[in-house]
Amino acid sequence: MTGNTTSEPNLLARKRTYKRLMFGVLLGGVGLALLLREVLGYPLISEAVYWLGIVGFFAIGFGTSLTLFDERDRALERRASHLTLNIMAPVLATVASVGRLLPRLTDYALPAEIWPALYGVIAVYAVFGISYTVLRYQA
Amino acid sequence: MNNELRRHRERTDMSQADLAAAVDVSRQTINAIERERYDPSLELAFELAAHFDCRIEDLFDPEREANGGA
Repeated sequence: MTGNTTSEPNLLARKRTYKRLMFGVLLGGVGLALLLREVLGYPLISEAVYWLGIVGFFAIGFGTSLTLFDERDRALERRASHLTLNIMAPVLATVASVGRLLPRLTDYALPAEIWPALYGVIAVYAVFGISYTVLRYQA
Repeated sequence: MNNELRRHRERTDMSQADLAAAVDVSRQTINAIERERYDPSLELAFELAAHFDCRIEDLFDPEREANGGA
């Protein structure tokens, strides 16, 4: 039976620190990139900072020997993904249908910018379908 | 799933943080298991049973109503 050790709370504190660092680097990088591009007018430097944030996020995650995310985190991710897909499906179906019917039945139409967004959502479901099929044959 | 994790943990005078570090999960995960809001994987269930030197059935009772996922 494993007893208490003084290092165990420190281990959890270190994990917490690494997680905060990961998300701090990611959000800080993206935020700073936005500031550099939109406010200060440095688009190229902004892009470099943006990628530094993303690479830094994964570098910290993969670079540490600590397990930063456990099985419950992964279970929560799966449930959140499932919930997101279930919410977006009726939204996609409804908006697409309204978008098709509106110009035929009324003098109004959805803004043209909506359609690329809808195709983007359709692409997500296409990727989901492919992933599901691949995983099904692997399982 | 009903479980006796809290009883076993308190009997060994461990905090949730101690147990979490011992089986390499977060303290929140131990808390969620104890509150029966999260059913652990088989791997973690075996690890917890090994940690307390008992059988899985001593920790988890599948006969009771399950409370769902995370």
